[in-house]
Amino acid sequence: MIIQLPSVRIICPGESLNGQTKQIILKDGFIHRIGDPGDVLAEKVDVRLEGENLHLSPGWLDMRTAAREPGYEHQEDLLSVREAAAAGGFTEIAVLPNTHPVVQSKEAVAYLRSRWPDHAVKVHPIAAVSLEAKGKDLTEMIDLHRAGAVAFSDGVQPVWHSDILLKTLQYLQTFGGLLINRPEDKLLTQYGNMHEGVAATMLGLKGMPALAEEMMVARDLRLLEYTGGKIHFSCISTAGAVQLIREAKARGLAVTCDMAAHQIAFEDMALSEFDTNLKVNPPFRGKADIQALWAGLADGTIDAVVSDHSPLDEESKKLEFDLAEFGIIGLETAFAVLNTHNQALSVSQLIEKLSGNPRKILGLPLPSIREGTLANITIFDPEARWTFTGKDIRSKSANTPFIGAGFRGRVIGIVNNGQILLNAASSSKQRR
Amino acid sequence: MSQLSVKHLLGIKNLTAGDIELILQTADTFKEVLNRPIRKVPSLRDITIANVFFENSTRTRLSFELAQKRLSADVINFSSSSSSVKKGETLLDTVNNILAMKVDMIVMRHSSPGSPHFLAKHIRANIVNAGDGTHEHPTQALLDSFSIREKFGGVAGRRVAIIGDILHSRVALSNIFALQKQGAEVMVCGPVTLLPRYIRELGVKVELDVRKALRWCDVANVLRIQLERQQIKYFPSLREYSLYYGISKAMLDELDKEILLMHPGPINRGVELTSDAADSHHSVILNQVENGVAVRMAVLFLLAQTG
Repeated sequence: MIIQLPSVRIICPGESLNGQTKQIILKDGFIHRIGDPGDVLAEKVDVRLEGENLHLSPGWLDMRTAAREPGYEHQEDLLSVREAAAAGGFTEIAVLPNTHPVVQSKEAVAYLRSRWPDHAVKVHPIAAVSLEAKGKDLTEMIDLHRAGAVAFSDGVQPVWHSDILLKTLQYLQTFGGLLINRPEDKLLTQYGNMHEGVAATMLGLKGMPALAEEMMVARDLRLLEYTGGKIHFSCISTAGAVQLIREAKARGLAVTCDMAAHQIAFEDMALSEFDTNLKVNPPFRGKADIQALWAGLADGTIDAVVSDHSPLDEESKKLEFDLAEFGIIGLETAFAVLNTHNQALSVSQLIEKLSGNPRKILGLPLPSIREGTLANITIFDPEARWTFTGKDIRSKSANTPFIGAGFRGRVIGIVNNGQILLNAASSSKQRR
Repeated sequence: MSQLSVKHLLGIKNLTAGDIELILQTADTFKEVLNRPIRKVPSLRDITIANVFFENSTRTRLSFELAQKRLSADVINFSSSSSSVKKGETLLDTVNNILAMKVDMIVMRHSSPGSPHFLAKHIRANIVNAGDGTHEHPTQALLDSFSIREKFGGVAGRRVAIIGDILHSRVALSNIFALQKQGAEVMVCGPVTLLPRYIRELGVKVELDVRKALRWCDVANVLRIQLERQQIKYFPSLREYSLYYGISKAMLDELDKEILLMHPGPINRGVELTSDAADSHHSVILNQVENGVAVRMAVLFLLAQTG
């Protein structure tokens, strides 16, 4: 199969091709030729992908996906999550350990790595820090690392126990392992259903204060200062947390962080109709928090953007608000949401948050765009206007507030592992 | 204006000032009906109403049922002390089963904030919120306004202090919305742990000292401590609460002004109110109960007009 991209802008920060408009020929999953638009690089072409604003970058990596398998296959499995990832432009995903059983043995890591090995989307297991992700007893982290776990985290659970966190930060130094913590003081968010603010007051819902995130970030940073090692905070959502991390980076601490793409799409005020598809943790916060997130993205305090893909069946969502579970599916929409709301970043900066930085944080190699290499790329159009509908969902679950949303920026497809996956709308239009 | 702007009574927040005025005026008429020798009108003769209560209630359920019967509606009652999801059936399934028996209107009390709003998205019958957790209790606020209006001739310009467990109170929130829409000034008073942190942003005054609150107000609407809704500890003991936030007749008498004492019931005598205060001439607590029937008749009647 030969695919021609007659004219595509290459986004590959740090490499010589970055920002250049080129012609690219892909052959059987390899980057076959790179030349100038108008050059004759291939005699016969099976698919030609054309578009005024076509862009291409190293494949995107999502650092925070709940794949649900094993244990919750009715919500998502390791094939459906790959299809959702591909539709959203991700060629690699790091999956959370909060499955049933929890990912805490090398057998579990091996299982995750063994499923669908020929698929275009690669899965990287994140193993639990503590047994059953309960925050009490440590998992066998060296063993898990050797089996292929790319990082350690209790996933949706914060590592709440100070001494366990301290020991983890120390123990991971044995092999330079990474701790990913979701900062939330659970005692301060107990029974909370949304951000604590005037919106929650008006809805009679118990709030989850920004303080709960900020206290945990402050504590973790203090512990990190004491132990050394490195930490990554997941799904930062408050202005205070951004500022704490900014200051810690300035002090030279080995700290990185990400935010969920949907975090900048809604304020807490959007929950006025008790829509459970807006129930998410961390919760949608205030305007000042969203502005601080953009500032953090722009100055590099926030290194990466994640999908925080959390598939939930209808039975978990079509309920009274306080009984519904937290979570939004995010793989299909992450880039479009971020790009649509983008206030601060160039295309190149934005792609760095989805592609280069997640790999740096996880210590994974950045795919290069060079003739003769097996392609690991994402093709997208940052200017395309489209409306997200239920038909665009590839996940087994449909818990998203974005159905009917108008987006700017669309993923055309991915190429990885010798496989080509194009989004239906674009391929049917452009296939010859 | 003779019709409500809404099809459901989900909360006071969704009503206009005109809606509130229409309900109170209609309630005037029904109050007069209730004092006739034959206290019944045929207005809702073809309407079937289900009272669906997922939380314990005596007064509100009786008040609604009486209002429905005075309007000649057919009434069925469903009560369950816990939310149906705990029994394995979802709220939506429970209500759809009731509606399948050709019911036109649902009056629901439920412990989850927003549950009537959730229902409204999925069913076609009219819905009356009879209390949704710590969110709203719109008919209580309407009958409170009706009672203030009855004593003072109007609500606009009056000063109303809501005293007690504001954090867990649906009565407080509905009253704040209702009183503000009618031009009253509102203050909340209680220990800081029982006041929502962002309550000032709703445009209410905040007072920690109950005596100062009483000096400020024309109406003291005293709330019960909602121990059943407090999942964690908010204050050390009822004893200490009653010592520093309980209201006695002596405290009201020494103000040397006309003050209305209101309470949505049930009263914990000796906690938020002493018996002599509850039974004093300041108190309109039983008038509130009486007015509740007329106000609920008005709400049901007006919603039935919206189809």
